[in-house]
Amino acid sequence: MFLINDLITLLAANLILSQALGTSTIFIAAGSRKNLVATAGVITVFTTIGAAAAYLIDLLLQPSAADLRLLFYVIVVAVLYVTLLAAVYKFRDRWFEELRRYIHVSAFNCAVMGTLFTINSRAAMDGTMFNLWGYVSAGLEAGAGFVIAALMLTAAYRKLNSSKVPASFRGFPAMLVYLGIISMAVYSLK
Amino acid sequence: MNDRKKRLFGGVLGDNIVLSGLMVISPVIICGDTLKNAEALIYAFSAITFLSVLISSFVPRKLPYAAKVIVYALISALVYIPVKLAAREFYPESIERIGIYYPLLAVNSLIVFQTEAKFFRMKKGEMIISLLSCIVGFDIVMLLTGFLRELWAYGTINSRIVDMNTLIGGLSQPFGGFIFLGLMCGAYRFIRSLISKDDKNVRSDVNVSDK
Amino acid sequence: MLKKARKERLIWLDIMITLLTLELMSYFYYGIRSVFLAGICVVTGFAAELISIRLMGRKFTADDLTCTSDALIIALMFPAVMDYHVSVLAVLFAVIVAKNLFGGRLNMIFSPAAAAYVFVLTSWERQLLQYTEPHIKTGLFEEPAALVKSASYVFDHTGSFGHTDFEILLGNFSGPSGAVSILLLAVAAVVLMMRRSISAGAFIGTIFGTGLFAVVTPIVSSRGDSLKYSLVTNMVLFAAIYLVSDVRIAPKRDYYAFFYGLFIGVISYVLVLTGAKENAIVIVSVLFTPIALGFKHLEKHIEKAAVEASAEANAEVVTETAAGEGAPADE
Repeated sequence: MFLINDLITLLAANLILSQALGTSTIFIAAGSRKNLVATAGVITVFTTIGAAAAYLIDLLLQPSAADLRLLFYVIVVAVLYVTLLAAVYKFRDRWFEELRRYIHVSAFNCAVMGTLFTINSRAAMDGTMFNLWGYVSAGLEAGAGFVIAALMLTAAYRKLNSSKVPASFRGFPAMLVYLGIISMAVYSLK
Repeated sequence: MNDRKKRLFGGVLGDNIVLSGLMVISPVIICGDTLKNAEALIYAFSAITFLSVLISSFVPRKLPYAAKVIVYALISALVYIPVKLAAREFYPESIERIGIYYPLLAVNSLIVFQTEAKFFRMKKGEMIISLLSCIVGFDIVMLLTGFLRELWAYGTINSRIVDMNTLIGGLSQPFGGFIFLGLMCGAYRFIRSLISKDDKNVRSDVNVSDK
Repeated sequence: MLKKARKERLIWLDIMITLLTLELMSYFYYGIRSVFLAGICVVTGFAAELISIRLMGRKFTADDLTCTSDALIIALMFPAVMDYHVSVLAVLFAVIVAKNLFGGRLNMIFSPAAAAYVFVLTSWERQLLQYTEPHIKTGLFEEPAALVKSASYVFDHTGSFGHTDFEILLGNFSGPSGAVSILLLAVAAVVLMMRRSISAGAFIGTIFGTGLFAVVTPIVSSRGDSLKYSLVTNMVLFAAIYLVSDVRIAPKRDYYAFFYGLFIGVISYVLVLTGAKENAIVIVSVLFTPIALGFKHLEKHIEKAAVEASAEANAEVVTETAAGEGAPADE
């Protein structure tokens, strides 16, 4: 029972369905199972570790310098980006060429940066969230939300790209409407 | 339209970054529900994107791809600061309304990825024209979305009440944005295929850009 | 192919007959307004289908008449006094956005009626969830008076249901115009299952899931009452027949369809129990679209694997036969 309620809460707080963050990335991820696993994995790494670093930034940054937050978040993501590329190159050089693509796609996009800013604004409203675990768990949750939304899209991917769909709506427009209807159902649960 | 013209002015309609390239769609979906929001987003997007791409064009091309991407993101994060300060002067309410989508405009894919793939392969003058046409393309979509969603969801135009029988409140919500944008993309493609003499070519172009 | 096409038409006919009986009951309780609303929905659905099919470059066939049953389902889920403009918009949304935009009946993703209901719920919730009492007849263009909350709403929030079993069976309590006639719905379910016009697995799964949880974690103190009222309120029976068990949406095999229905039943019951979410089953049926599609993928994989296995077995038999036939010649 609680599990079902938690699942509904996770759906309702889903950054893609409720805030459209990372929509274009999800279209790439849903294309194949390999894309989905790799992109979701890399994005979860970025959002989780990025959230931990964002906590430190938010802790140290004075409210008067709040406009610098984006700059610091970009630096955090940049460091993660380089570290991840270097790690993949060093330890998994066989897969480097393939994984590199997903890291490029996942680093600077709305899914990651939007997650960091969303966590920041949620923590500003709810003081109990303002701790390292609060940030990290929110980052993980965002990654899980991305996986759920990507799975939902993957299930319908073939149908949305089918030749039976009118040419004008095939692919991207049909995907947007599909996500919109799912998002509408999630919204009506609130 | 010949190839050169298409390359320079395609961003306005023919190869619109939102409707065809699915770039910067989150702010359109979430914040594009009123004309006031649209105006504020247009200002922020136009200023940040134009200045960032222009400054980024001076980054040495010999740098590795990853380094260039980071530098572009850092430049736009720096450009974001004065743009936001100016917004506080001219659009003080908009900052609250647009919320987290303001900084997200600074890491949009037009700046971070399209610079490398498209703009920096052109001469400076051409690049500026092409960039401006992409920005105008975004602005048109944003205005249209803001106008129609405000009219149908709230029954107002720029906060002025209009006589509307039935309002569709859901259009102001994120799901309304998804569905509206999806329908708009479909309509855009349909019109494009009607206008284009070479229908097949248009559809294949669209498919490629969508991927 | 011909058989399949004929079957689609027969399914439509079966569904329409059961829906028309529900509409008749609705006329008995709410008068001509209910019939007029249904008429507007059906005509709008038909016109929208006709135009969108022309735009898609296809020919309208008798199979495309399913748009009228979808429209009638929508009308029956609404209060009899629903605004006509909203009803028209709902049907347009169902036919154009939730169905034909994805390729129409050849490529169904959502149940059009369920998607349209959720669409109306998100934009006109107050209108959608306020009803006139049975036997209060409103004129065609009269403003509805004395609107009340549904019996489901009262049950979800207070746990009490002030109607006799006889009234429940006949649908003599406030609620959506066609979704409260429990006896008729029960008969319709049996008939449609026997004629294979709905997915029996999905229907039984939904009822079993809701019933099981209603007994295990009752919504009221008596388990029997919890079971009874959980099945007759919140459009559970109506949605289980016409939305969840829609053969165009539910998985083909009864085994998978059962689990699909079971999950919908359980989750919608939990939403009613914990959040008093009225008619949660309709929302959950839309949310479970990806699950139905996932099950369908699984079915395709299994069918493919079965075909490959039988082809391999056939090949082996042929080889063995050839070897067997060749052996005496060698001797």
